[in-house]
Amino acid sequence: MIETIYVEDAIQNHPKTKFILNKFKKSRIISINKYGEIFNKRNQNFRIQKANPCLILAHKKDNFVLPAPEGFGLGSSKNFYFSHMYNCIYDCRYCFLQGMYSSANYIIFVNFEDFDISIEKIIENNLDSKVTFFSGYDCDSLALENVTGFAKHILPIFRKYPQIEIEFRTKSIQKEPFLSVKPMPNVILAYSLMPELMSNSLDNKAPSISKRIRVISELASKGWKIGLRFDPLIHGKNWKKLYQELLENIYKNISLDCLHSVSFGTLRFPKRMFKDIFKLYPNEPLFTSPLSLNNKMISYDIEIEEEMTSYCKNLSLRYINEDQIFKCSI
Amino acid sequence: MNNLKKTKNSIRWVIALKEEAQVILDYYKLKPINEKTIYPIYKNEEETHWLIICGIGRNNAAASTAYLYAYSNASNYTSWINIGIAGSCKGNYGDLYLVDKISTYQKRKSTYPSTLPKATLPKMHLFTSDIPISDYSTYELIDMEGSAFFDIASKLTPKEFICLMKVISDGPEDNIKEITKSKISNLMKENLLKIIDVISYYERLSEEEFQIIDKPKLFNKIKSKWHFSATQSYRLENLLRRIEIFCNKKDIEKIIKNCETSNSVINVLNTKIKNNLVNWSKF
Repeated sequence: MIETIYVEDAIQNHPKTKFILNKFKKSRIISINKYGEIFNKRNQNFRIQKANPCLILAHKKDNFVLPAPEGFGLGSSKNFYFSHMYNCIYDCRYCFLQGMYSSANYIIFVNFEDFDISIEKIIENNLDSKVTFFSGYDCDSLALENVTGFAKHILPIFRKYPQIEIEFRTKSIQKEPFLSVKPMPNVILAYSLMPELMSNSLDNKAPSISKRIRVISELASKGWKIGLRFDPLIHGKNWKKLYQELLENIYKNISLDCLHSVSFGTLRFPKRMFKDIFKLYPNEPLFTSPLSLNNKMISYDIEIEEEMTSYCKNLSLRYINEDQIFKCSI
Repeated sequence: MNNLKKTKNSIRWVIALKEEAQVILDYYKLKPINEKTIYPIYKNEEETHWLIICGIGRNNAAASTAYLYAYSNASNYTSWINIGIAGSCKGNYGDLYLVDKISTYQKRKSTYPSTLPKATLPKMHLFTSDIPISDYSTYELIDMEGSAFFDIASKLTPKEFICLMKVISDGPEDNIKEITKSKISNLMKENLLKIIDVISYYERLSEEEFQIIDKPKLFNKIKSKWHFSATQSYRLENLLRRIEIFCNKKDIEKIIKNCETSNSVINVLNTKIKNNLVNWSKF
């Protein structure tokens, strides 16, 4: 339940604003001038806000689509990302969004039409290149789909350009809009996963791993391309057994023909971000892990990272090809 | 002023008039402090609640908030409360409201206080004026202190720890000139239970924050045994926070008891973390 919704004056009458507000009839609506008046204020407590976040409906002015950082892609020569939303409804303890903004409130940018224009412009300028777009770098791309309808809005663009890939990265179990339309081979539905035991402690407010796997299996059986994102890999007692069970459970329960790619990433925080997150949640079990400063990042020691990555990769190679496996380093 | 107790919950009240404050002074058993101060200040025996009578107007509200902060040595987990009467074109005489938006003539931008989650109290937009206003038609709530209190308090603590509450005392049907001291006291008394309920949330919030930011249990004991530099103290604090989650106090003391220097204490604790295999089934 969202108790308070802040709405920028400029988009009070935007059809998407009305569409979203219609879903929250009991919420208190407060008009604001610019979203920064709420979102960018420094003296806010992220942890307290996260327990009861507000929603902000805003107009995005520029930077609708940005080049993805090096190391973010899946083999395409050009990678771009866009975020129609800032912040996430889930509260995963390893997530960089905890240290990214001073506010835990959610922003939804309602001017989807401007995202369309920017995406199409980039596509038209790169028709000869292999291009992948990533939806939801600053949020979970599907978690609020029932409120925003963003994925449903954006899919028709990619139906027009079958050579251009788009990845929706998510932990949600939203199946719409994918069940109601014909599968598109250039759309990758990428799910973040870890062993259930670890997820129970770390993926607060997110759907359980077993529910995610059921949805993956269903969407794969309909013909949608699936991405598996084991990012971050989490260390701990019995990690080998836990990851073996998880990987085998997935590979044995989904149609491997529909598997687009698998990626592994190690647990990593920029030093400053770790400091902020640790300050917010000093009593979290995650921070009892053997983490230390390595190359300006707080991470497991390189030996642990390499052991975990190669163990999971070797297990996966029993089921999939090497060219389907990628490393997440951002 | 310097020998204040370190309390677990911490509340600071900024209230314009003694008549508005009396019910709070009585309920929380706040007594005047034994010193001459610029503004009258009250506190309870445990020193968890402090209250300042700021007088009317934005300047007084701003100055007294800053004064109380310094005088009472308020922490960064202190909750700040402003309560008082207000005019309104919308609500009913005697009703209590939370404030979630504040505007003034002076500032083009509004400010947006947080309100406690799942509050049963209704919320309104507050306009803080420098002069009494008799035309109520444009504003939901009108007072003379709220914006200045919020501007200063939000520099002292995160906005989630700030609360403004207003009781409607005048409006188109209730003439401002008919407000009396006893009417003000009665308005506050009639809302006391609701006020206590709101304050219990802020007491809890303050206490929870204290638990999170308080130093680890063994920190001072270890610091008294070895000499730690400022950087080492910071590392010690962080290491202890992490280790205390999976290791009890006795075991920690045992592994460091033979250390000769602060450096070796840090190394031993570091090794303890490095070798920890998190048992996820426990969490």
